[in-house]
Amino acid sequence: MGEDTDLKPMEISEKSKIPFVLIIMLFFFPFSFSAQEQDFSFPLSTHELKNGLTVILSEDHSLPLVSVVVAYNVGSVHDSPGKTGLAYLLENMMFQGSRNVGQMQHISYLDRIGGEFNAETRAGMTLFYQTIPSNQLALVLWLESDRMNSLSITETNVQEVKDSLIEEIQLLHEEDPYRESSLYFDQLLYANSAYSHPAVGASISDIRNITVRDVMQFYSAYYTPDNAVISIAGNIDINKTVQLIRRYFDSIPAGKDRPSLNLETPPRTEISEEIQKDTLASYPGFYLGYRLESPFTDDFYSLSLIEYALFRGKSSRLYNRLLNERERIAFQLQGGIEKKKDFAVLKIFVLANEEVMQERCRRAVFSEINRLRSNPISEKELNRVKNLFKADYLRRFETVLGKAIFLAENYLERNSVNEIFDRLNKYLQIPSARITGIMNRYFSEGSILLNINLK
Amino acid sequence: MKKLLLLFLTVPLILVADSSLAQERFRREAPPPDPLPQLNLPQVLRNTLVNGLELMAVRIENAPIMELRMIIGDGESSSPEDLPGLATFTANMLDKGAGTFTSSQIEEQIESIGGSFSAEVFADYSLFSFSFLEEHLDEALDLMSKMILQPIISKLEIDSVKRSMYYDHIQRYSFPEALGKKLLYQILFQNHPFQKITFNEEVIKNFNREALLDFFDTFYRPNNARILLFGNVNLDTASRKISHYFKDWQNKDIEKTFIPPPVPNDKLKICFIDLPQAKNATLFLGNTIPFDDQNDLFSFLVFNQVLGGTTNSRLLMNLRESNKRNVFWAFSEVEFFRNFGVLFVRSMIQPDAIYQSVSDILEEIRKAKQAPLPISDIEQAKSYLINHFPLTIRSVDKIASKVSEKEVYNRGDEFWNEYYESVSLVNAADVFKSLANTSILQPIVIIVGNEETLIDQLSEFDEVEFYDKNGIFQFSLIERRE
Repeated sequence: MGEDTDLKPMEISEKSKIPFVLIIMLFFFPFSFSAQEQDFSFPLSTHELKNGLTVILSEDHSLPLVSVVVAYNVGSVHDSPGKTGLAYLLENMMFQGSRNVGQMQHISYLDRIGGEFNAETRAGMTLFYQTIPSNQLALVLWLESDRMNSLSITETNVQEVKDSLIEEIQLLHEEDPYRESSLYFDQLLYANSAYSHPAVGASISDIRNITVRDVMQFYSAYYTPDNAVISIAGNIDINKTVQLIRRYFDSIPAGKDRPSLNLETPPRTEISEEIQKDTLASYPGFYLGYRLESPFTDDFYSLSLIEYALFRGKSSRLYNRLLNERERIAFQLQGGIEKKKDFAVLKIFVLANEEVMQERCRRAVFSEINRLRSNPISEKELNRVKNLFKADYLRRFETVLGKAIFLAENYLERNSVNEIFDRLNKYLQIPSARITGIMNRYFSEGSILLNINLK
Repeated sequence: MKKLLLLFLTVPLILVADSSLAQERFRREAPPPDPLPQLNLPQVLRNTLVNGLELMAVRIENAPIMELRMIIGDGESSSPEDLPGLATFTANMLDKGAGTFTSSQIEEQIESIGGSFSAEVFADYSLFSFSFLEEHLDEALDLMSKMILQPIISKLEIDSVKRSMYYDHIQRYSFPEALGKKLLYQILFQNHPFQKITFNEEVIKNFNREALLDFFDTFYRPNNARILLFGNVNLDTASRKISHYFKDWQNKDIEKTFIPPPVPNDKLKICFIDLPQAKNATLFLGNTIPFDDQNDLFSFLVFNQVLGGTTNSRLLMNLRESNKRNVFWAFSEVEFFRNFGVLFVRSMIQPDAIYQSVSDILEEIRKAKQAPLPISDIEQAKSYLINHFPLTIRSVDKIASKVSEKEVYNRGDEFWNEYYESVSLVNAADVFKSLANTSILQPIVIIVGNEETLIDQLSEFDEVEFYDKNGIFQFSLIERRE
């Protein structure tokens, strides 16, 4: 054991070895520089009912568990102006009971059988998921089909849910002194209220504006089998499962009169900067954002790796620059790519200890972005980023729930589950030059900066 | 003819109506479950190296992420009396320099293999968790061995870790739940070595290199350690590789003293911590529980499930009934150590319902001690524990946690392999008998909240002890009145 004295940085000793290693590798492994394609697949099959319901099944017999995800192709972008929060309200309503299931009984049933469940409303989809012992699959299909078919929507339960959402909004404002500034920044960045408002609702008055009729219409339009996908992963028999699904879902009629959604995606922007004085904030800080492309273009493979290079792990560029324990200049750093249906942005949020450091943090962030634009990312760093990405990606498949959610998401985003297993290889094959190119394409033009100063 | 036509038209209508009724009929009730499927648990295979290092391999097929756990058989209870928290400090320093790597280089190495590394210290052991992409097993073992065999303890890193620990500690214990649990354990473990896990941030300033090296040299020995590998690996490969990287780890005799269980609290005690920013009151209520053998352990698991394991359990259902919307949530938990456990209730309540809620919780426990619980409650709890068990091991990481805990406390392979049977065998009489040996009706009660809003409710109790956030006794409410 000893103290650090003349430690040599890894890079110097590594560089001297590289030519020798290169020769050996070229001799024995002439094709070793391109990432070998690996097989990340797991079994799956797709089925479709007459009423348009898509079913994706994946067998996994490692544990006697099954996860059932019912995902509807509707989210917060479908909220009407002045009545934002409607999609989230419906998510909560789905636990209020249906023709054959009492209020909150869905939760009680799952609790009693040792299951776990959750739900989430995103911009473009709403997911309901549960993991249960595999011998209880029929129970969950019964519960899900009942609420898809015959949700109880009454004045009383709508009002109860509205009251709890209002409490939730109040609590969010009380607990987060930066909530106002965060919502304002989203308005600047997305420039389209369909994208910018939070799922829980933009305001309490919006929640109050929602009527029982709104809820009924929303439910009838979007909570239909042809607007949904069921994905099931776990200890299942494919044929038996298909039979069960037909039993419970076949007779549910397809939807009609679904309003079409035309969302304008905001164009790239000039550089814009605003200052906001915040009475609630204890620390000064800033938000920085960039508008990106649709998350379904090939550019997104590189953008995801850029996100990891900037934010993921203590060796990431921004963490290292701002939160390094030896010379910490920021108090808090959050950031990453945010995807909302067909639009994506990159957001950075930094809090500094004081206003002098706020300026230093800003310069540090822009400096790192510019560095990534002008200097190719090293193979070593790119390798680190890819391995972190690969580990996070594969961790999703460790559980049956992770698999089921992955399948449902991919289906709703791309209308297909073909090629999903090839996608990880596409990320892993991105070369350094492409990262530089993508950085210049998306991070050279405008950015949106909102400074939070203390009052 | 007309009658025939009518019949011809009517019969299909009846059949259609009847088939739709048949559909409705099957929807009216929850379908019954299929038979409980078999649970095949991966086997824990063992080996011991020449230097005394125990290793275990748990093969999990098709696992692209591997989990490594290193257990050092000493935790905070072995920290010096004047330096509680030293074990945590030592563990936190492990990845701050090793071999020729600086702290940042170690971080980079870990991330380069798609990995993450963390340290956690408990009362009686220290645990290091390392996950990584399976194709990088050798690099992970190499790095881990350097941390153990060639640690670098620099002043710069010591200062940095102390600073982080200090501010993290303050942040963690600014939340009422963490604060409440800390005081509960501090009082339950009074005059017991385990009390050191409730150390305060002020002691962090006194951590120093010499004390750390002494702790490391004494306890970080292969004959006091285990390495567990989970993933696509067999015992032979694990033994060969671990032996290669850890063969130079020198063993040393370690004096181990038997730590008896703490003496249970024997009189109801109400304690309060003022947290002005708390809008509601957070409540902890608990006591230590002895157990003689693993049968007791399973009885307590079942009782805990009946009392407050889920939202359907007695606590929340009955508290909500008598307190309307004043109870936000209420659960019970049981934490097992080597030869005792702690059973406690935690709850968040509106300020004006504190007194009633404490009374109601005690009443629930009193009922369980006065007569055996209803068989239906016991069977429901057992069913939940059996059905829920696979969810507790749904990923490699969760299997690693479960097996590590089992190994630390030498629970034996039957605890893992025969979990279903052990739970199934518990009956109401067992639970009643196990509870009879406890002092759970003489618990410590910790209330965390805003004194201004709670003072009326606190006055309802015969006596309330006031503590500051560091767990230092301030005064007793009776004294104030006097």
